[in-house]
Amino acid sequence: MSTDPDLIHIPPETAITEGEFVRGTSLWRDAWRRLLKNKLAVFGLIVVVLITISAIIGPTVIKRTTGFTPDYIPTDDIRLIKSFPPFTGPDGKFSWTHPMGTDNAGRDQFARVLQGGQISLFVGIISTLVSLLIGVSYGAIAGYVGGRVDNLMMRVVDILYSLPYVIVVIVLLSMFRSQTARGQLVLLFVALGAVSWLTMARIVRGQVLSLKNQEFVMAAKATGVSTPRIIFRHLVPNTLGPVIVYATLTIPQVMLTEAFLSFLGFGVQAPLASWGSLASDGIQNIAIFPWQLIFPGVTMALTLFSLNFLGDGLRDALDPQMRTV
Amino acid sequence: MSKQKQIGLLLLLASIALAAISCNTSTAKEAFFGKTVPPDRNIFRYVTGDEPESLDPAISNGQPEARIYMALYDGLVEYHPKTLGPVPALAERWEANNDSSEFKFFLRHNGRWSNGDPITAQDFVYSFRRVVTKETASRNAYLAYYIKYAQPFNEQKVFVRDPQTNQFLLAKDFDDSTPPEPIAGAPLDGAKPEYTTADNSQTEHDGDFHKQLHTPLRLTIPGDAKGRNKLLDANPKLKAAMAGKELVPIQAEDIGVSAIDDYTLRISLVQPGPFLTGLLAHQAFRIVPQKIVEKYGANWTQPQNIVTCGPFKVKTWQPYDKLVVERDPMYWDAATVKLDEIHFYPMSDNPTIMNLYKVGEVDAVLNHTVPNAWLEVVKTKQDYMDGVEAAINYLLINVLHPPMNDVRVRKAFNYSIDKEAWAKWRKVVKPLTAFTPEGIFPDYPQPKGDPFNPEEARRLMTEAGFPVTKRADGSYTCPKFPVDQVEYIYNTQESNKAMAEWMQAQWKQNLGITISLRNMDWKTFLNVRAKLEYKGFARGAWGADYMDPFTFLSLFYTGGENGSGWLDPKYVAMVDEANRMLDPKKRYELLAKAEKFLIDAQPIIPLDTAAVNFVKKPYVKGMYPNAGSLYAWKYVYIERDPSKWDYGIPSLAE
Amino acid sequence: MLRFIIRRLLITIPTILIVITIAWGLVKLAPGNFYSGEKRLPPAIEKAIREKYGLDKPWYQQYGKMMWAIVRHGDFGTSLRYEGQSVNTIIRRSLPVSAAVGILAYLLALIVGVTAGSIAALKQNSRWDYSSMTLAMLGISVPNFVLGPILVLIFSLSLYWLPPSRWGGFPSRNLILPVITLSAIYMAYIARLTRAGMLEVLRSDYIRTARAKGLSERDVVIKHALRGGLMPVVSYTGPALAFLLTGTVVVERIFALPGLGNYFIQASLNRDEPLIIGIVAFIAITLLLMNLLVDIAYAYLDPRVRY
Repeated sequence: MSTDPDLIHIPPETAITEGEFVRGTSLWRDAWRRLLKNKLAVFGLIVVVLITISAIIGPTVIKRTTGFTPDYIPTDDIRLIKSFPPFTGPDGKFSWTHPMGTDNAGRDQFARVLQGGQISLFVGIISTLVSLLIGVSYGAIAGYVGGRVDNLMMRVVDILYSLPYVIVVIVLLSMFRSQTARGQLVLLFVALGAVSWLTMARIVRGQVLSLKNQEFVMAAKATGVSTPRIIFRHLVPNTLGPVIVYATLTIPQVMLTEAFLSFLGFGVQAPLASWGSLASDGIQNIAIFPWQLIFPGVTMALTLFSLNFLGDGLRDALDPQMRTV
Repeated sequence: MSKQKQIGLLLLLASIALAAISCNTSTAKEAFFGKTVPPDRNIFRYVTGDEPESLDPAISNGQPEARIYMALYDGLVEYHPKTLGPVPALAERWEANNDSSEFKFFLRHNGRWSNGDPITAQDFVYSFRRVVTKETASRNAYLAYYIKYAQPFNEQKVFVRDPQTNQFLLAKDFDDSTPPEPIAGAPLDGAKPEYTTADNSQTEHDGDFHKQLHTPLRLTIPGDAKGRNKLLDANPKLKAAMAGKELVPIQAEDIGVSAIDDYTLRISLVQPGPFLTGLLAHQAFRIVPQKIVEKYGANWTQPQNIVTCGPFKVKTWQPYDKLVVERDPMYWDAATVKLDEIHFYPMSDNPTIMNLYKVGEVDAVLNHTVPNAWLEVVKTKQDYMDGVEAAINYLLINVLHPPMNDVRVRKAFNYSIDKEAWAKWRKVVKPLTAFTPEGIFPDYPQPKGDPFNPEEARRLMTEAGFPVTKRADGSYTCPKFPVDQVEYIYNTQESNKAMAEWMQAQWKQNLGITISLRNMDWKTFLNVRAKLEYKGFARGAWGADYMDPFTFLSLFYTGGENGSGWLDPKYVAMVDEANRMLDPKKRYELLAKAEKFLIDAQPIIPLDTAAVNFVKKPYVKGMYPNAGSLYAWKYVYIERDPSKWDYGIPSLAE
Repeated sequence: MLRFIIRRLLITIPTILIVITIAWGLVKLAPGNFYSGEKRLPPAIEKAIREKYGLDKPWYQQYGKMMWAIVRHGDFGTSLRYEGQSVNTIIRRSLPVSAAVGILAYLLALIVGVTAGSIAALKQNSRWDYSSMTLAMLGISVPNFVLGPILVLIFSLSLYWLPPSRWGGFPSRNLILPVITLSAIYMAYIARLTRAGMLEVLRSDYIRTARAKGLSERDVVIKHALRGGLMPVVSYTGPALAFLLTGTVVVERIFALPGLGNYFIQASLNRDEPLIIGIVAFIAITLLLMNLLVDIAYAYLDPRVRY
């Protein structure tokens, strides 16, 4: 087992010892208690929840109170079609209308940043789910079935792993610009999900390898449970620990990848805005309107910051011996 | 404890941000945009645009490349730094025959390549032939089509000759639409002098080639069998005449350029071309070194091989980074050249370019660089360059498809666009009602088109059978108008979308008609527009190839692919007549009449004349915001005495 | 070990060919071509351009010709958009730029990251530990396309100290901001990795033994603990390289550097088929070789590892 390159390469924190699983269901309650004790993680959790809530309901609330949607351009008053600094009104005096200022077309930045949050979080979560589904199934099957099938599947993973993925994704996205913004999102999910499932597969496979000779598996086999059931009802649930941990690692990574793809112009297209595309728009005018970059940038940094702290905390909580990276 | 650290860090970030913001707004008081300190050395750093495709002047038709070619290569004439008119360069003087269909250029004797070789008329003959040779794959070949047999040679067509009599079939015998032969195409007649000047080419330098050019235009037919058969099947008279004839491929030597002697060049045109001398400053007509090109082939432009003839020569070239050219002591006018080096920076992202300019890393930038959002700040600075450009924006109308085939309908749509408001919205353009850029051609009596008049628009629309009625709330409605038969197409780009929506809003507001918008990618758009596969309006824009109104009016000279389907023989005749005039004033008058005819027929809705919109440091002198954004670099210099700097836009008056 | 290396090298070759084929397929399937400009070209001229670049031949002929040239001569052809410049020349010219920025960034990240991480591990739970780990977290969270422009705003556009973009040769002031921007995220990761690795080692038995034996703290740290702390850093090099690649693309765009990443993006936008394929192949080869080197290095560092 120790000669299997997969097991060696997995960072130490994901190698779960046998003893963990004997503990059974109290694992989760213990984990939750540990999480709450970690102040940084709690901070992260609060911020993430706050941002997620504001991303979900924020645009609607803003629309109801001030009438600003992320793409509302005040065409009736030409004085308003310009970039105002934060908290500034048309006459240059202090005003509450635009706490984050406006962009060049007079669109409210606050609404746009929140919509950007919607998109970024949405893309991050869905892509991670996609990669989860693919990776977990693939890894579990490979680990359980073993033998030549396992070998073949892992060779494929090896080859795919060594592909310059993001490069190919860029070529793909640049060649096939979708006509609709929705279409582009779907392309993004596929591309981003395809990038991260490989490590997930390896992790799950590693887990399954160490689990499949356990007694509960043999018992299931003896009582005639079918192979798919064994894989998906018995083995997979026991891998959830590292899977969750890796998922929380993946979400910020995917969000970052989506942001940089949108920044380069290959990701989310207008009229939808993601933090990456807002940042790339903001950079255009940084010499004279720096707030256009600073607000989306700081918001994104804050979100990723909190997600990372939360992920750290989850890792600590699920296994204190898995020291953080 | 850690939470305090985090909050502290966030506060630090916030204060940095505020500091940065306040630092920036303090620039409002400065006279110039950014740091204004002349460079230590006598070098000029310029952002020219996208990375040049090639250093071979025959290949590329982009403006960024054009400015580089102007530093490296010379031609018969050069662009005047203010007016862009022809200024003698390698040609000391020239003459045209009585209808401007044949030109003679007298070259200076001290022209030199950068390796010391003398420049002769043979270099021009070689270079012109090369531009229209198919294998060169030049994007500019079409500019040389005025030269006799250049177009059929470029298209690899063939002559048709009778093997027994050695006579070629003539074009006029098989095509009624062939315009009358210019003087240069009629047989030489000693009784009627072709030139009104003393130097009469008919008595002196008449070689066989010149005599042969002075015969009526030979018939040319496609060189490939498929194209040929198609043509013959459509033309039975021609098919019959083909019996017993042989096909003679057109060679480079057949086109109408020849070297009478080492320093005299003759160009024979297929139609009168009074605008030719202005056209010859274009990079397609600048010379390339024959020996070097033949020796190195496609690699001749590599820095270790390249040989040039302009005021500067290549020093180093790192693509995507910098092209450094240094003064060429072999250049015939090296005494006028003030700069020691020019550094061309290839960049196309406007904010990045403006940032470099602000920090003082470059001294001037190309046109159309100041982003719209920055104008409010930058326009107030004294290094902002404004000026009209020789480029226009308009809407094409497909006149073949009802209801747009009714001129009243077209005029109604034109009357209902407020061009002044459009220019104000766009900020950098000037409103236009005609089809040539306004204010570009001095002394050109540009006609005025219809002004903004929504009342008249509604009246015309009603008269055409689509009554416009006013509703209670003040808005208009035109229910009878077949909106499903009209659309507005444009190529996908944010600014085009904004423009389309603006036009749509105007028509809705003034006529009560909502036109649907359709966008597509550039390639598809070009195709659809050229093949007239759209109904209604298509976005159009055109930049001058040379400084003459004809470069715009020529768009409707042929039916071909003008994207509108409008072709009127009266218009063609008017333009032909104008081009046959030798007196430039009379010619302009006739061209203006043709333009008036064109805009009255309304196959287009004119919108605006573009503006140059760029920045240059005040210590850069000799560089003027002219209409083509083309600068003769030998006149540019760095001025170190602040009292002599350019405060504001340098005047384009001569 | 040798067998392992040979096996890996053997897998590399078909992998690269697959990568090339995928890239070529994507480019061919995409609409558009490289010579569409503003002025519509007369059909005769368009035909001439297509013939000159061999675009009029059927697709399998184009594929075969390309693969043959690659396999036989390592010749990736000439760029379609840029006259007379072979793909190999372009790669050769742009590689030093990307390499300079990347290597400098990684070195900076290593030096600062390992130092900060080690001190944090040695002084665990102190103020230094918390603040440097929080800063590291910031480094991971602030995207490079936000950090870069902010640095430019402060040090270039406002203070006029440094150029806001462009390559100035090596070495020059132009390198400072791009290198810092690129290295930030790695600095952060490396600091955290070093800290984690060192903490684990510092708790282990053999360190206690070394201390008990009376070795000075300095020796303990440098000769023993550091080695253990560096292992996760080394194993991180593989993924770090991949990130470095994508980070370089963004940094090169922001600072307008003529590196491999910028050329790649331009080539993608221009549909410059040979250049896209050449760069993709080059990156694939580099990644594969670097991963192999990392695996070998890991084997040397950790005697428990056997291939």
